[in-house]
Amino acid sequence: MIDGLLVGSVYGLAAMGLSLIWGVMNVINLTHGAMIALGMFGMYVLFGAITGHPYVLLLPEIGVGLLLGVVVYWVAIHWVIGRPMLMSLLSTFAVNMIIIGIGTAVWTTSPYNVNFNLPGLTVGSYTFTGNHIAAAVAALILALALDLFLRRTRPGKAIRAVSDHREAAELMGISSTTVLSIAFGIGIAMAIASGALVATLFPFTILSGGTYQLKSFVVTVLAGLGKPLGALVAGVLLGLLEGAVTPFMAASWIPLIEFTLFVVVLVAFPRGIFGKVAA
Amino acid sequence: MAPVLQIEKIESGYGEVQVLWGISLEVEAGKLTTIVGANGAGKTTTLRTAMGSVRPWHGRIFLEGEEVTRLSAHAKAGRGLVLVPEGRQLFPTLSVEENLEMGGYSTRARKRQRANLERVYELFPRLKERRKQRSSTLSGGEQQMLAMGRGLMQEPVVLMIDELSLGLAPVLTQQLFLTLKSLRGQGITIVLVEQNVHLALALSDYTYVLAEGRVTIQGESRQVAQMDEVRRAYLGL
Ligand SMILES: Nc1ncnc2c1ncn2[C@@H]1O[C@H](COP(=O)(O)OP(=O)(O)OP(=O)(O)O)[C@@H](O)[C@H]1O
Ligand SMILES: [Mg+2]
Repeated sequence: MIDGLLVGSVYGLAAMGLSLIWGVMNVINLTHGAMIALGMFGMYVLFGAITGHPYVLLLPEIGVGLLLGVVVYWVAIHWVIGRPMLMSLLSTFAVNMIIIGIGTAVWTTSPYNVNFNLPGLTVGSYTFTGNHIAAAVAALILALALDLFLRRTRPGKAIRAVSDHREAAELMGISSTTVLSIAFGIGIAMAIASGALVATLFPFTILSGGTYQLKSFVVTVLAGLGKPLGALVAGVLLGLLEGAVTPFMAASWIPLIEFTLFVVVLVAFPRGIFGKVAA
Repeated sequence: MAPVLQIEKIESGYGEVQVLWGISLEVEAGKLTTIVGANGAGKTTTLRTAMGSVRPWHGRIFLEGEEVTRLSAHAKAGRGLVLVPEGRQLFPTLSVEENLEMGGYSTRARKRQRANLERVYELFPRLKERRKQRSSTLSGGEQQMLAMGRGLMQEPVVLMIDELSLGLAPVLTQQLFLTLKSLRGQGITIVLVEQNVHLALALSDYTYVLAEGRVTIQGESRQVAQMDEVRRAYLGL
């Protein structure tokens, strides 16, 4: 259960990235899973090369994620903004395939892991894995930082303004394309950071991102669009749910349960379970 | 004196449909210029083309003597060309104060953001009372005040306002016109699209009348107000 809660905050972080991009530019980012996988392998490579502390290595990963996101924005997203949704689905799917293809060529599809263990924390008869606690704390910090950035800072407010009314934002002197490219970069950085954190928890392959992409979708519809903190909470809920069912059934049932949930939520709460406050 | 904003034979439209057929305007510094015309005459399109929200097909635009025809809207806003758009176009999920802060976004407006915020709150005390509220929860008139306030936050060189009086109580409209006159006294140039032709002609210095995407009449407002066709078509006399 508690482990589920800890892992859930990492799901939440991943979903925040997807939700931000979806909410701000109305693009369903199908590169999300590939970016998560890149984050995993980024952690693997950096950890092998620099033997730094994994949670410090998060910072260069986030930096690279931002840059990569901005580049992908200009290559694949800029042209399809405001066009039919199918266009951006196709173009992000293409980028996804390219990344997975290159990744497969470099790392094949065999499993890797990051060999790193923090001492656990024993409370009563139960021991929490150290890595789980640290990953949850890191995810929480990043999630709160993003929320603060969006709510309190000038560039954060500019992102929300462009999301609200792009033409009006231009009238204010805000370069909306620059803002969109940065928002995309932040979304990708979140995906990469969550992948890096997952890499410290479980073994992974270049294809693992797909699972987490699906979880991010579930979390995003649970939370409703454009509510980053909602995504965090929904991620934790999903983790809890997984933690609660695993003792009773095989892990292979989890996707089925999650997608049943996905459909039920879409039908019953089209604006997410926190959708009441939506304008 | 050279006009601060000059529009030269602008043609533009939406998709394949041409709306403006060679509009030329010269806006003199420190003057209040109005554009009037029937619904669909192209007033809004003229302002949006000047701003760059709609791309001009032909013609040229000069701001303070420099050609800015191809600049994007945000670049023109950065130089002090400000449009308070038709339909308000607020940021609905941002609070009242955040909307005003966005008005102070550009580098030139940022320097005086604090003082401008004071001024806007002085002008519209209701906005100050509601400053933490989401702008989507404001009444129509309050939203219009916020759109005006946001424009004033931008440190305009030329302030273009599309339908100032829309949805406002007559008392407040009068008050806003007086505010505009005092702004003009401080050296801000104002272009106004206004449905209330009486008020527009009475308070402005220069008037353009648009019909079907062309300028049909132009002149000192005092003289335009005397013209028979204007009195008949727009003043109902
Ligand atoms: N976004 C748009 N797409 C297509 N056509 C448009 C668009 N906006 C305006 N038009 C057309 O352009 C013409 C001029 O419209 P415009 O909004 O400039 O008129 P206006 O003078 O501002 O009218 P009003 O007094 O009603 O505001 C109209 O025929 C209108 O149908
Ligand atoms: Mg109009």
